[in-house]
Amino acid sequence: MEIYLILIIPVVLAIISALVEKPVIAGTITTIGYGVELLISFCFANKILAVKHFSEAIFYADALSAFFILTVSLITFASALYSISFIEKDVQNKKFPESQSKIYYLLFNLFTFSMYLVTLVNNLGFVWIAIEMTTLASAFLVGFYNSKHSVEAAWKYIIICSVGITLALLGTILFYYTVSHDGGIKSLNWTDFISVASKLDGHIIKIAFLFILVGYGTKAGLAPMHTWLPDAHSQAVTPISALLSGVLLKTSVYAIMRFAIVTNKAIGSGYTSHLFVFFGLISITVAAVFVLVQKDLKRLLAYSSVEHIGIIVLGLGFGGPIGCYGALLHTFNHAATKAVMFFGAGEIIEKYNTHNMRKIKGAVKAIPFAGVFTIITAFALSGMPPFSVFFSEMAVLYAGFVKGSYMASVVYIFVLAVVFYGLVEHIAGISFGKKPEDMIASKDPSITKAAFIFLFVFVCVSGFLFPGFFNSLLKAASGILLGNI
Amino acid sequence: MNFFIFGIFVMTFLMVIAKRMTALITGFCLQSFFLFGCVLFIAYRSADNGMYVLAGLIFTLKVIAIPLFLRWVIKKINTNEDLGLLVNPVLSLFLVIILTVLSYYFAKEIVVLKENLVITSFAVSLSVTFTGLFIMVTRRKAVAQIVGLLLMENGVFLTATTLCGGMPFLMEIAVFFDIFIIVVILGIFVYRINELFTHIDVNKLTKLRG
Repeated sequence: MEIYLILIIPVVLAIISALVEKPVIAGTITTIGYGVELLISFCFANKILAVKHFSEAIFYADALSAFFILTVSLITFASALYSISFIEKDVQNKKFPESQSKIYYLLFNLFTFSMYLVTLVNNLGFVWIAIEMTTLASAFLVGFYNSKHSVEAAWKYIIICSVGITLALLGTILFYYTVSHDGGIKSLNWTDFISVASKLDGHIIKIAFLFILVGYGTKAGLAPMHTWLPDAHSQAVTPISALLSGVLLKTSVYAIMRFAIVTNKAIGSGYTSHLFVFFGLISITVAAVFVLVQKDLKRLLAYSSVEHIGIIVLGLGFGGPIGCYGALLHTFNHAATKAVMFFGAGEIIEKYNTHNMRKIKGAVKAIPFAGVFTIITAFALSGMPPFSVFFSEMAVLYAGFVKGSYMASVVYIFVLAVVFYGLVEHIAGISFGKKPEDMIASKDPSITKAAFIFLFVFVCVSGFLFPGFFNSLLKAASGILLGNI
Repeated sequence: MNFFIFGIFVMTFLMVIAKRMTALITGFCLQSFFLFGCVLFIAYRSADNGMYVLAGLIFTLKVIAIPLFLRWVIKKINTNEDLGLLVNPVLSLFLVIILTVLSYYFAKEIVVLKENLVITSFAVSLSVTFTGLFIMVTRRKAVAQIVGLLLMENGVFLTATTLCGGMPFLMEIAVFFDIFIIVVILGIFVYRINELFTHIDVNKLTKLRG
């Protein structure tokens, strides 16, 4: 029952917001809708813990799906809340006409609908279609301002991601081939894949998984296929940037996880583990270099997303109960932290009217609320204790040592230190110092403040102080990653 | 069957040596026609109604609708016909032939069945996919990238049909719908790029760096 509600609410919201004229009203309705959605996904996760898994018609959900749904709901709710005043301000500043805000909310809702769809369908072909849908729905949101920069970013986004996803389709077809040929089942359902996993042809599986990893990895922002990501994330409307970084990348990781579980069951975990560690380390390293030399505030955050996706994948690669647990926990922590960070960056950019970090000084004074949150969250994002990201990063590191991958672990910790330096230095540079003479300090609307505070609670506590419910959900989800279906 | 596969194969090479946009689109149109023939043949042999529907879809979408739409876009933006080749036709052809040979060995490795036709058609579909990628990388105009993407999808579709006897019906329909939407969206963006930059040379889209 909950499954249908989770999918119906965004569709209904999309229809409503396409009809409502005033952006504030559309935003408020959307926010309320996602508040309800958050409650439902919470109940759904609770239910899943009791019954292990749901399987109805084309839908299938287990603890892993429930975990991702909860994460998506959380970030979507916060972005919707943040959108209300952000879109209103953009309309007032004549960045786009009021009539266009309808399109924004329509696409916003379709975009989130497609992300929920990814986590809920059983059929891996439909997972593919849902992921492609996320690209199509968000392409116009990336190019929303219709400037040279944003159209260029949108073009690269849609072209590169479509190529990636085509390769992923080829991978899916190869999986289907061996499942129907060696397994004897003509079906694309994930549950069927798992049930015949031991009979599959390891040779084909290896090649197919490589296509899957490269294909969905493109969408997930793994280096060296990440080139679209900084462009798209920096040019999108800010609440959408938060969604792109916070959860869109994760839905692709989710698809990779599903295939990895089948692959591990068929040929053992050594193969996927090596690939994950390789791509994870490359992503973190590439991101670190670009974080150091970055000038554009939103691109800085985009590269930081490449780094964090690398950490998640590295956690999967190190594997074991701790590695998988750490990877999932990091998924959640990064989503919450990066969304707050993008909200802060959005406020600062709006105030100073530039992306260039060298032209921004004294943000804490010019825009006190968002400025303070930005600098604190920058510390959280770069992995300083006692914030949540620190704990999941340490879990991944610990998993590395447990597994005995000392080289990889040492590289990992070194690069983390580099990123820490780069990120904190940049953000401190824009936060402190003198604000421009003629600039008047401004206050954020209370609705925006609510969005910040709501997510910040999770940034602070989800590392060490989480309720038993959250812990058992994570344990169940990482159990599924380890193959205890 | 062999005839259609051969047709698809030849069209791929014609597209590689095309210098003008209309030639590229015509190549795609003809290739899709051979793909249509191929699916129709399979449908006839297996008496599968779903396959007939699929063949009809290929004909209406890939042979008629998409090429017409692309021609309309080109006419609308009124640009010169040149594709902007980064690699000249002869060298391109040479590289694609190498890709094809590699695809053949790759296909031979993967396919467990030693049935010759399956191996050949799988090799052709792989080479079509990689040629699509090749065209996307080495042609500068935005329209060429769209056609390259379509070529890749054609290749993947051929893989599904020849290797697995097609994917589940609902899935195929959804993929088709998806391709159509992508092309429309990309067409809109080509139009916007042309409006904002007054050209559609994607290699010159370098405002965003670092």
